[in-house]
Amino acid sequence: MNSSFEWPSADFTRVPYRVFRDEKVHAREAERLFKGPFWSYLCLDIELPAAGDYVMSYVGETQVFVTRTEEGGVAAFVNSCAHRGAQLVRNLRGNSLSHTCAYHQWCFDLEGRLIGVPQQRGVKGKGGMGPEFDRDRHGLKRLRVDSYKGLWFGTFSDDVAPLADYIGPRITPEIDRIFDRPIKILGYYRQRIPANWKLYLENVKDPYHAGLLHLFHVTFGIYRPTMSGRVFMDETNGHSVLRTADIGERQSDVNEAYSGIDKYRADYRLADASMFDVAPDYDDRVTNMIMTIFPNLMLGQVANTFQVRHVRPKGLKEFELYWTYFGFADEDETATEGKLRQSNFVGPAGYISLEDGEAGRLVQIGTDRRSDEDCSIVEMGGRGEIGDADTLATEVALRGFWKRYVGAMGWDVAPC
Amino acid sequence: MLNPLPTPFDREAVLALLAEHSLCLDEGRIDQWPDLFVDDGIYRVLSRENVELGLPAPLVYYYSRGMMRDRVTALRDALTFEPVYTRHMISDIRLSADGAGQVEARSNFAIYQTTEEGVTRLFAVGGYRDVITATPDGPRFRERCAIVDTFGVQNLIALPL
Repeated sequence: MNSSFEWPSADFTRVPYRVFRDEKVHAREAERLFKGPFWSYLCLDIELPAAGDYVMSYVGETQVFVTRTEEGGVAAFVNSCAHRGAQLVRNLRGNSLSHTCAYHQWCFDLEGRLIGVPQQRGVKGKGGMGPEFDRDRHGLKRLRVDSYKGLWFGTFSDDVAPLADYIGPRITPEIDRIFDRPIKILGYYRQRIPANWKLYLENVKDPYHAGLLHLFHVTFGIYRPTMSGRVFMDETNGHSVLRTADIGERQSDVNEAYSGIDKYRADYRLADASMFDVAPDYDDRVTNMIMTIFPNLMLGQVANTFQVRHVRPKGLKEFELYWTYFGFADEDETATEGKLRQSNFVGPAGYISLEDGEAGRLVQIGTDRRSDEDCSIVEMGGRGEIGDADTLATEVALRGFWKRYVGAMGWDVAPC
Repeated sequence: MLNPLPTPFDREAVLALLAEHSLCLDEGRIDQWPDLFVDDGIYRVLSRENVELGLPAPLVYYYSRGMMRDRVTALRDALTFEPVYTRHMISDIRLSADGAGQVEARSNFAIYQTTEEGVTRLFAVGGYRDVITATPDGPRFRERCAIVDTFGVQNLIALPL
């Protein structure tokens, strides 16, 4: 699938299954998406409190490290020595005011400058680098970085707009809502999901499945298609927010939405429902806020849980879902305990989230040998123009993702 | 030399409790799993990464037998996940008195999963840290904590570890 590939539907209601299993597509993504004019999530600002603190992260499948500089800024580099390319930083997290490659002890400062080359002038008057060797020309490969409300992003592109403009004014208020006060990290979760990374983006942009696959949060009032719900996007349609609030719901509507669905059991009761007895963190009755920032970040709230989910491709048919689970620095012990209890909703073992891993696996298996021309149907919410929706019975945000993706990949689109 | 256990614990009965935890899961008797705990027992699964970073977020956190029963019900009736057989390998069991009349147990686990097509993979390795208490029905878990080394979870954790 090269630049001559033609996407089969102008309104993005069809998605060829090939995009989940074609090595050429995967290689093209590495160049056009992850090295192109897009911002990729790196880490949180609070993960780098002191000069020299660093974390490893990924831009696409390129391993990078992000560090707090001596001046208090943040810098990100491809995690590969300027000499022979060895992995430079070897721990996931740590603190160091310089980084020395294990292989030949080349040393770099926090600005990525090469500050030490052993035996540069040779040994006993022999060997060494030639006189033309200039350390200043052999620093680490540096990414451009930018942050919004303590979320750091990186890019290889000089052209992409500043991060706040990239996210856009329709989406940033939802980030502002959550990051209105300092956060604290409660932990990390990692899932290796046997599916193409884009299947996860489809999943979290899809409110249609949420009330059908996830019986648990339907039954316990975290999410129902009958809730007050909204899907909205930025002007490129690549970022989206799915928001539900526990407002204006009638049981008769619930019964209608689930008529004929065996899986929904109105009589289902928990023996111990105490993990729901947690005071809300906000008084706006929002029960779910699932944001995606193109290409591969999800940021969200499910009940009292707040997470950053970084979708890290690991080859064509696997990705790591890297969760940073957080609470608020000023919350009391009861509130934090509530978040630990509600960790049962999310993460690899969570009542809700475990099923999303399974959904990815099922689609990868199901589509892996479908014909090249076969496509998924993405018509919930209608065809035609892509726009915001005030219903949860919609898949329009998936179409927005594919529109932005196809543009990024530089493919033609079939005429209507 | 084995550590002495407080009265009224019987070493064989404690070892049988540890074995039964594995066997009820591996033999498809998960309904009996919550009965291995006291009413206000705690079952947790923690990522070794978080434990070593001193971060509290659990992968699984049930703090009553009711919550364990709820999980069993959900596994049976509600949750969508790949059906697998499991097999626990337990080793290096160490029992000691906790100073408060209970027994502390530590052991290592390796859990294999076998698909419906009979293909086996190593799913998770880690260690258990348990507090076991005496009840009229014999020893029961007051707390069982499974700390997983395999915190890069292979897709998902549905069943208890």
